[in-house]
Formats: sequence, structure tokens, C-alpha cells
Amino acid sequence: MLTIDALRRLGANTEEGLGRCLNNEAFYLRLVNMSLHDAGFDKLAAAVESGDRKAAFEAAHALKGSLGNLALTPIYTPVAELTELLRGGQDADYKAMLETILLQRGALLALCEG
Amino acid sequence: MLDGYQEAKFDHGRRRILAVEDDLINREILSLMLRDTYDVLTAETGRQALELLEKDCGTLSLMLLDLNLPDLKGIDILRRIKGNALTARLPVIVMTADQDAEVECLTLGATDFISKPYPKQEIVLARIRRTIELFEDRDLIRRTERDQLTGLYNREFFYRYAAQHDEYHPEEPTDAIMLDINHFHMINERYGRDFGDRVLKLVAEKLLAKVGDSDGIVCRREDDTFLIYCLHRSDYRQILDGVCMQMGTDYQIRARMGVYQDVDRSIEMERRFDRAKQAADSVKNSYSQSVGFYDDAMHEKELFMEQLLEDFHTAIREKQFTVYYQPKFDVRPEEPVLNSAEALVRWRHPRLGLISPGVFIPLFEQNGLIRELDSYVWREAAAQIRAWEERLGRRIPVSVNVSRIDLNDPPLLKMLEKIVDEAGVGRESFLLEITESAYTENAEQIISVVRSLRKNGFFIEMDDFGTGYSSLNMIATLPIDALKLDMQFIRTAFRDRKDTRLLETVIRLAQSLGLSTVAEGVETAEQMLTLKALGCDVVQGYYFSKPLPAEEFETFVREKCRRP
Repeated sequence: MLTIDALRRLGANTEEGLGRCLNNEAFYLRLVNMSLHDAGFDKLAAAVESGDRKAAFEAAHALKGSLGNLALTPIYTPVAELTELLRGGQDADYKAMLETILLQRGALLALCEG
Repeated sequence: MLDGYQEAKFDHGRRRILAVEDDLINREILSLMLRDTYDVLTAETGRQALELLEKDCGTLSLMLLDLNLPDLKGIDILRRIKGNALTARLPVIVMTADQDAEVECLTLGATDFISKPYPKQEIVLARIRRTIELFEDRDLIRRTERDQLTGLYNREFFYRYAAQHDEYHPEEPTDAIMLDINHFHMINERYGRDFGDRVLKLVAEKLLAKVGDSDGIVCRREDDTFLIYCLHRSDYRQILDGVCMQMGTDYQIRARMGVYQDVDRSIEMERRFDRAKQAADSVKNSYSQSVGFYDDAMHEKELFMEQLLEDFHTAIREKQFTVYYQPKFDVRPEEPVLNSAEALVRWRHPRLGLISPGVFIPLFEQNGLIRELDSYVWREAAAQIRAWEERLGRRIPVSVNVSRIDLNDPPLLKMLEKIVDEAGVGRESFLLEITESAYTENAEQIISVVRSLRKNGFFIEMDDFGTGYSSLNMIATLPIDALKLDMQFIRTAFRDRKDTRLLETVIRLAQSLGLSTVAEGVETAEQMLTLKALGCDVVQGYYFSKPLPAEEFETFVREKCRRP
């Protein structure tokens, strides 16, 4: 079940994220749920798979904004790293990074569905 | 103290904010942070934001702008906002995680940044509040220091900014310029006030566009007078040409410009513009050359005028001002009979010799000294009426000039009454000449003063009739007893091919209104006889006598004037 404690256990900085939501837990959890179901993850996956770095950057950049505000650190950190690498046009193992992101997302999604 | 002030300011209603953010989650968080303090409008795309701005910009206090939007780049939106006069003054805070974009945003006019992820609510609110306050204060200052119509500095603030300009450019030669639109009051009268306002706005825009780029500042000093203070340049004719535009099919702006180049910084700012005005006045009546430059001759004249101002009080004290008297004759009887005299002041300056009133009267009118001079002349004239009465055994009425400046002086009536009463002179013997142009400025106030003078027994002559914008309609409604036709009016009628039709019309009109007519500047027997034939009542001029000092006037009366 998606709870503050569960999110904290998985590494989210819930204090920070909740603070931005004026400590309104229900509001925060609703946004976390929305964020995990964001279609941006699918866009990012498709772009990385197809090697479209521009589209991958845009999708990652968009995700980074909301993940950062919710302080979902386990996903935010790899998404932010991916975004910066793509911004700099650097070669990297983007597929491996995507895998980490999706893995972390999966773990959080499991909370929603549990 | 500061907090109290801030609270008080924000008591004046909630402010409205436009938050532009495409991400729903971010938008939700932002709205939550702001909604207790502000009315929040949101836009998801750049286009939506621009539409809202077009519709509601006037109600907005601030815009929060995300740089990454799906349709338009935030940078482009910022550029559009700052490039549009209607939205340019709206403060914009950019929300970004990208520090590289900050420099560009600042260059484009963003006021502040809020980083992403968002900082604490308190920080977001504090930044927004500070920005709104800053802009509202700036707007207030702007409204205080600007002319509402043109947006240029008003006079007071212009002089302050001009002084600041000196501090920024301590060594560089700087010019003071005055620009005056020709016959502006006629533009308003002929085409309406809206058109006049359009002309003023256009001139303001042109001037600002020309000199604003070189750190110049511009002000609308009064109705149609503009001042410019800028680093020295040599393209003033081109600037004036740029201003003198054709508007519509039948009106072209015409203006004159006075330039005081490389100003002397030891003199006060306002005086620098007095010099520019002198230069502008020097081309007042010239059609072709409309830019005048302050030069040595003007400087000499200015020094001369300053000398006169400096010497004024000594001159009053030492009675250097002498009153001359020019006789006026009643020409209705077969033989002209002395009717009265006009008191005319001359200045016998110990070093500069005899100075014409044409030189010093306009000068004293400008700075109010005329009041002192006039009251001096009135006292002299009143005492003279009394003295002649005693020595000649007859009362000779004397007319004195009352300046338009005197008419704005509330105790005028009391002062005149005191003077004539102290001299023991009847009011009917103390005639007041009030120049025609005084009636056209501040007409209601002047008319009410003149009416009260007349009600209290003074005889009013309208002086200089025919020199200004003479209105025949005006003389029918004004409280006057006599119409004094100006010398120039008489000269024109008798010049080259004599044409006295206008003269005749005016005399007849005066007669029909029960006003007597006085003609001045009459020099020949032909003029005198013609005027007499046309029905003019009183004649004054060299034909009878030039203005004379009191003793000579007395001799003149003894020898040449039979009693009526």
C-alpha cells in the first residue's frame, strides 16, 4: 500500500516532498501515484530503445521536474543523471540507466498496487 | 517597521498571478503553495499563456514561467512579453532547474528565479512578494515622475535626472535643448484635443527614439514644450526634421528648437534651459531656420538682463525710474481739448543710460518684479495728479498700466484704493489700462478682478487692442469703459494705401457698445483728422506730444492746453 512510511523505506525524501505539499499527506500521495503512472516513462523507454536522444532528453527532463518536487529520490536520482548526460550529448549506457529507472519505478508501483 | 509597511501595502486587495507550467504535478504543487495568498491563473502551454496575457494582463501582478513548455520555449515567451508595450511591465519569475538559462533570462528581462525542485513555500512566497512590491513601487515612482500623456519625465524629475546625467558624464560636453510646437493652441482649437494629444505623443516618441539611445533624457515641461538633456551632438536639424511630420492630409507638425551647446555646469540646471529657450525664441518668427543656437550675443543680452534685475531694488530706492506723461486729447470738439495723460515709465540707469520700457517690462513681468514697479508708478502718478491739481488748478486724469501679473494679485483693489485715497485723488481720475492679451489668459479670473475694480469706481481702458488675438465678440462681454487702439493698428490702417475700413468698424462697434475709443501712436494731422471723422473720441501720440517728464508736461499744459 502506498504510504508515507513505505515511500520513506524505499528511500524517498518524504519530509521534503510533503513539505512542498504543505504536509497534506493525501494530496502528496495522490500526486505520487499520478507521477508513477506518468506516460513520460513510456515515452522515455521508447526513445532510449530507439536511440532518439532528443526525445529521450525531453521525456527525462519532464519527469525530472515532478519527481524532484515529490522528492522521489530512488527514481529522481537516476532520471536527473540521465537528463544531464543527454543534455551534454555524452555517450553512456542509457539502456542500463533506463533499466535502473524502471526497476525503481516498479518497486514504487508495487506499493500502489499492493 | 518594514514588515508593517509590507503588510499595509498588501492589504489593498489580493494580487493575481499567472503560473505557466505544463506538468500537472508541478502545477498542482505550485497552486497549493500560492492559493491562500494569491488568486492563481494557470496555463499549461505557451500559447495559452499568451492568450491569457492578452486578455488579463492588466489584472496580473506577476507571472511565473516554466522554461520547458511543449509548444513554445519559455525564452521565446519571455521575449514576446518584454517586446510588447502592453505586457512589458509585468514582472516575470522564471522557474528552472537549468542554471545556464538564467543569464539569458535575465538579459531578456526576467526579474528573478525559482529553482526546481521548488524551495520551501515560505521562500517561494517571499520571492514573489518582494518582486511584486518592487514592481508596484517602481510603477508608483514611474507615475509620479512621468507625464501621464507622453510617459516622458515631468519637469521636476527631469531636472533631477539631468543632474544625475551630469554625474554620470562629468567630463563630456552636454547640451540643453528646448523644443516648442508652433501654434499648438491653434491645433487643439482646430482639430480637437484628441488630435493635439496625438501630436504630443508622436513628438515625444520621436524625441525619445532620437536621443534616448545616446543616454539623453526628455521631458514634457508644459503643454507643448519639450526639454532634452543629452551628450553633445550635431544632428539637431535632423532631429527637428524627424519631429516635423505630416499628420493626415492637411496638417504638418511645425516646431522650433533652441540649443544651448556644451552647457556651463557652474550655472543652475533651470537656467541652462532658460538659455535653450532664449535660443528657441530667437527663431520664433523665422520660417526656414527653426533651430536656434545660444550664442555670445544672447549671452551678452542675458548678462545685461541679469544686471537689470540686480539693479532693480536700488533703482526703486534711488528713484531711477522716472514717470513720463503723454497727453491724450479729446478730439470731438472743434479744437482738441486735453483729456488726460498716460503715465509711462523710463529707467534712467546711472551707468547704462536711459533704458526703454520695452526692454525691462517684459523682464520684470517674467519674475514678478513688475508688481513693485507698477505700484511705484501708481504712487508717483497719483501724487502727480494731486500736485498738478494744486499747481495748475485743474485735475488732469492719468491712466496707468496694470500688468496681467498685478491682476493675479488678490489685494490689487485694496492697494489701488489706498494709493488714490492717500493721494487724495478721485478714482475717476485714476484710469487703469489693462492689456488686451491679459483677458485671453485665465479669462474668468481676470474678468472677475476687472469687474470688481470697475464696480469700485475705477475707469478701465482695454490697452493694445488690435495686437493680440482680438475678438470683437470679446469686447462686447468684457467689463471695460474704453477701447484703446494700438499704435500698430493705427499704423497699419494708414500705411501705403490707406485703408481705414477695419478701424471704422471697430470704432462703430465700440460706439454701439457705449465704449469710448482712444487711438494711440497718432503722428500726423491726417491721421488725427481721419480718426476724428471716423468718430474716435480721444487721440494720443507724437502729433500732440511725445511723453514728457512731469515738469515739462506741466509747462506743456500751461502753454498749449486751453481749459475745456
